[in-house]
Amino acid sequence: MVSEIVLTVDFAIILLGATLAGFVAKQTGQPTIIAYILAGVVLGPAALGVVEVSELTELLSELGLAFLLFLLGIKMRLDDIQHILVPIAKISIPQMAAIFLAGAGLSLALGFDPLESFLIGLAVMYSSTAVVIKMLTDKDEATSLHGKIDVGVLLVQDIVVVIILAVLAAGRPDGLADVATTLAVVLVLVALVTVAAVVASQTVLPVVFRRIADNKEVFFLIAISWAFLFVFVSDNINLFLAPLGIEAYLSIEMGAFMAGLAIAQLPYSKELQDRVNPLTDLFVMVFFVSVALDLEATQLLEYWQEAMIAALVLMPVKFLVFLYLLDWQGFDTETTFLGSINMIQVSEFGIIVAAVAFEGGFIDAEVLGFMTLLAIFTMAVSVYFIEFSHPLFERVEPTLSKWMSEGEFEGGKREYRDHAVVIGYDEVTRNALPLLADHYEDVVVVDRTVEHIDTLEEEGYDAIYGDFRNSTIRKDAAVKKADFALSSSVEPAVNKALLREVGEDATVFVEAERVDDAHDLYDRGAHCVIMTPYLAGDRLASYLRAYLAEDERFVDAINDDVELLESSDPFPNTYERLGGDLDD
Amino acid sequence: MTELLTTISIMFIVAGPFLLVANRFDLPTVPLLVIAGTIVGFFIDEALTLELAQYGIALLVFSFGVDIDLSAVRSVIRDSEVAALAQIAVVGSLGVGLGLALGVPLEEALFLGVAAALSSTLVGTALLRTEITMNLLQGRLAQSIHFIQDLLAILFVLVLSAETLDAGPVTTMLGSGLALLVAAVLVNRYLFDAIGRLAGDSDELMILGVVSLLAVFVGAAEYAGVSVAVGAFAAGLAVRHDPVEYLGLFNGLESIKDFFVAIFFLTVGALVVLPFVEIGWSESVEKLVLAGGLALLTVVVKPAITTAILLYRGYEPRSATLASLSSDQVSEFALIIAIEALVLGLLTQSVFDAIILAAAVTMIVSSLTKRYDERIYRVLADRGLLPANHGKVDELSDVTGPLVDHVIIVGYGRHGQKLVEACDADDTPYVVIENDPARREAVVAECDAYVFGDAMEQYTWEKANVDDASLVVSTIDSDPVSRRLLSFEFDADLTLRASDRTIALELLEAGALYVSQPDVLAGKQLVSRIRRVLDDELTPEALREEQLTELNSIDHPEFQHRR
Repeated sequence: MVSEIVLTVDFAIILLGATLAGFVAKQTGQPTIIAYILAGVVLGPAALGVVEVSELTELLSELGLAFLLFLLGIKMRLDDIQHILVPIAKISIPQMAAIFLAGAGLSLALGFDPLESFLIGLAVMYSSTAVVIKMLTDKDEATSLHGKIDVGVLLVQDIVVVIILAVLAAGRPDGLADVATTLAVVLVLVALVTVAAVVASQTVLPVVFRRIADNKEVFFLIAISWAFLFVFVSDNINLFLAPLGIEAYLSIEMGAFMAGLAIAQLPYSKELQDRVNPLTDLFVMVFFVSVALDLEATQLLEYWQEAMIAALVLMPVKFLVFLYLLDWQGFDTETTFLGSINMIQVSEFGIIVAAVAFEGGFIDAEVLGFMTLLAIFTMAVSVYFIEFSHPLFERVEPTLSKWMSEGEFEGGKREYRDHAVVIGYDEVTRNALPLLADHYEDVVVVDRTVEHIDTLEEEGYDAIYGDFRNSTIRKDAAVKKADFALSSSVEPAVNKALLREVGEDATVFVEAERVDDAHDLYDRGAHCVIMTPYLAGDRLASYLRAYLAEDERFVDAINDDVELLESSDPFPNTYERLGGDLDD
Repeated sequence: MTELLTTISIMFIVAGPFLLVANRFDLPTVPLLVIAGTIVGFFIDEALTLELAQYGIALLVFSFGVDIDLSAVRSVIRDSEVAALAQIAVVGSLGVGLGLALGVPLEEALFLGVAAALSSTLVGTALLRTEITMNLLQGRLAQSIHFIQDLLAILFVLVLSAETLDAGPVTTMLGSGLALLVAAVLVNRYLFDAIGRLAGDSDELMILGVVSLLAVFVGAAEYAGVSVAVGAFAAGLAVRHDPVEYLGLFNGLESIKDFFVAIFFLTVGALVVLPFVEIGWSESVEKLVLAGGLALLTVVVKPAITTAILLYRGYEPRSATLASLSSDQVSEFALIIAIEALVLGLLTQSVFDAIILAAAVTMIVSSLTKRYDERIYRVLADRGLLPANHGKVDELSDVTGPLVDHVIIVGYGRHGQKLVEACDADDTPYVVIENDPARREAVVAECDAYVFGDAMEQYTWEKANVDDASLVVSTIDSDPVSRRLLSFEFDADLTLRASDRTIALELLEAGALYVSQPDVLAGKQLVSRIRRVLDDELTPEALREEQLTELNSIDHPEFQHRR
């Protein structure tokens, strides 16, 4: 029998607190992450103490990280990142070594004992996946060249974190050999998961997703189910390996990322991004709020001066190390600068490493407090650097470019401009496509049916699979820069979204079912609203008149229509003949 | 990783294959999630996910509140389809009776009554989507019936929170519910746009704001001792808004809803104690008899009663049957009511299980009956189980004039009106065939001759004197109707309407003189207009002026607002 359910107040308070803080941040131009972290500090035991970590909030913050990485995975097309794999490896390893030395040395200088300094060094090596990826996503830079480099480095760091956590969880290592074994096992596991994801993306997933892509709800839930499969396996890999006598761990973030990566290779990934995004936002919010929920004020503030000093030293050091390494790998000045400035904070993983070390009895709660404060502070500061990275770069560019090498890496892809966007491939628009193709260099078609996408791509049109109501899809089709837009959707929401987004000079054709919708669309700037039912009604009546008058043209007209119906060519090049009305 | 995350992972992993099955066989997802849940139940402690399931309930009811079309309430009342209420009363009583007959105490039997009476909007309306978008009579009827049931379900959840049927507590609950609704209206009017302004252009903050709003309403409901579902419904009403301005918000809410609602249905399934597997024989049989009885009541008796009532209200047999067939399942609201009652201790495990099992089964059966609804109707009609009611057709029709070489126009929608105008102008005699009571007034006022009956019925055509007609023009975009007309093999020429190109070709092949396919015609027009603009024959602005003039010449105001 089930006991009575009481919804926890904690989650509601977190929601409200984060919302209010978020509104304030939005109105004052601050990044929302800061608002969430501060909301956590205020609500948590350090200040008001009205919220405790509950099972639900813990779940949601875990899901937050998992979904963030899943979402990131969905955006990574292997073709796009292959060429930077080598530089990423060459950057991340020396970077971690350098920061480890800096962190440990600094800690010693600040008066921590050698073991504590060693662990602090291990904890500060990573940059924050949550902050960097969230900011990159918000700024729409996750797939830019510097975004990809950062993401790659973060993932390598993630693997290292997993290894270190595994070692720490196993208690004091018996020696180097022990560490080496753990390292080897984890690397093999990562490789296995990667292979599983890549193989799935080549074999099972295309078949499955092709079938379900047209069913919005099933599509979304199956994708989630797929992500959870990887999360579950990664998290319980220890159980699976126990019979073999191997002890090893993988992070759920790693699993989620691989699950996303497998889906990213399919043409339907764009649509999924928009579906997963809102859930991620909600869960990641809980994650940031709960960062500060665990600690008492005294523990948090015991070493506050040391934390400030460490932060002020580590951030520039991290920046310079990245700057040097990226430059060494031959990226251009802008990429180098942006890629480095993004990574100057200490990661939430630093807190986790410290927490595990605390539980293992290696360090005191106060050192954990020091790490937490360091992480929160550097995350908060770095958010501003990331937010304003571009203006910052413009300032320092003249100085920087003097002593930095020329970039050798090519990045970025061609963008649409003055093109035609067509929403929906159907009987109404298919005749118009060849006509548009004759006039525009690029014709982009947005459609929600898998078969249509295949047909369109075979014909050489740029086809985007997805719902036009999703902002990623609109951005992908570069609606703002289109010269011509045609929508065969009769949904007013779609057409209004189109009209709101197009540039002033664009010509817009839309469809409507009802007269008042049509008026509304003209008011919003449509140039032509096709009203299929009215048109067909008029046409039918004129055919009837011709029939009753025994007009010969009746036979011609219906034969024409039948011929048009019969043409199975998906892109009838017959538009030359079209357009003659019976009444003309 | 928390235990909860493991639990959720298992839930979704198990659900995956079931969702694939749903997709493969075109079944609704709800029952398959429930069935997947029964399997998940073996691996997890469902008490863990109850709280998440509550969020699922809240979001489910919330989005019902968001989508509610207030003008629909008015039109339902105007169309006097409140007859649906009678059906709920009758079937509900039968459900209670069934429970009592099987030895279930009255308090619990009431829930069986609710389960039997209410139909699923998620399943029923989704199955009828085509009919609803095409504005066919049975689609509209079914939508109204479901809508009334949903509202009643909310009311019932409200009363349920009183945990008793005494007048005092119930009145208090109704008072709290009313207060929440008033708050919702106020929030909608004064606060919602403020949230929009505060969030600026950030979808993230907008979603967060609205979810917070939901949390506040749910919290207020809990505080007042009312079900979270009622609070969520009020929150939904508070957020009702033209989706265009907040596209990101409403898309985002849908994702969040889909996620939590899936957890809800899986949890419901996990709560079921499976007969035979988890309990002994006698208990299992008892449970199955109860579930079977409920399923039978829902699948057979409920549609029969609904049909009878609709027939009595003057709808013709086919629309009545098809609309009724769409209500032959247990509602997801019944699941919400059941889970709340179980948690409150008002319902024993076996009655709960019976309701959930019956719900899963009937939702699947329902998609099958929908698939074969025309055939079911035909079988019933041919066996004489449905009253032919020629008297009614005679009474409502007017075919007094001489009808030779006339045109028969099927359907008096926009196309039908245009065709009547054309006949009038040409002085050609015509008969209009129509079956929608909502259009009756217009037909009587504007047409010389009309038959008020179903175009699928032989008698309607006799009445329209099809043997002497020269042309039959069907404006009904429905494959079964088109095929049926072809099967009559009229001597007259026959033109049909279809929205699908392949079907249009098949109909031509099968002997139609012409098949009007609006999209092809629109495509023709579109190409000519685009070409004029691209060839610089016409500036976009000039085209716009021309189009607006043309639009203003459309003058059928009474049909503009009808959906």
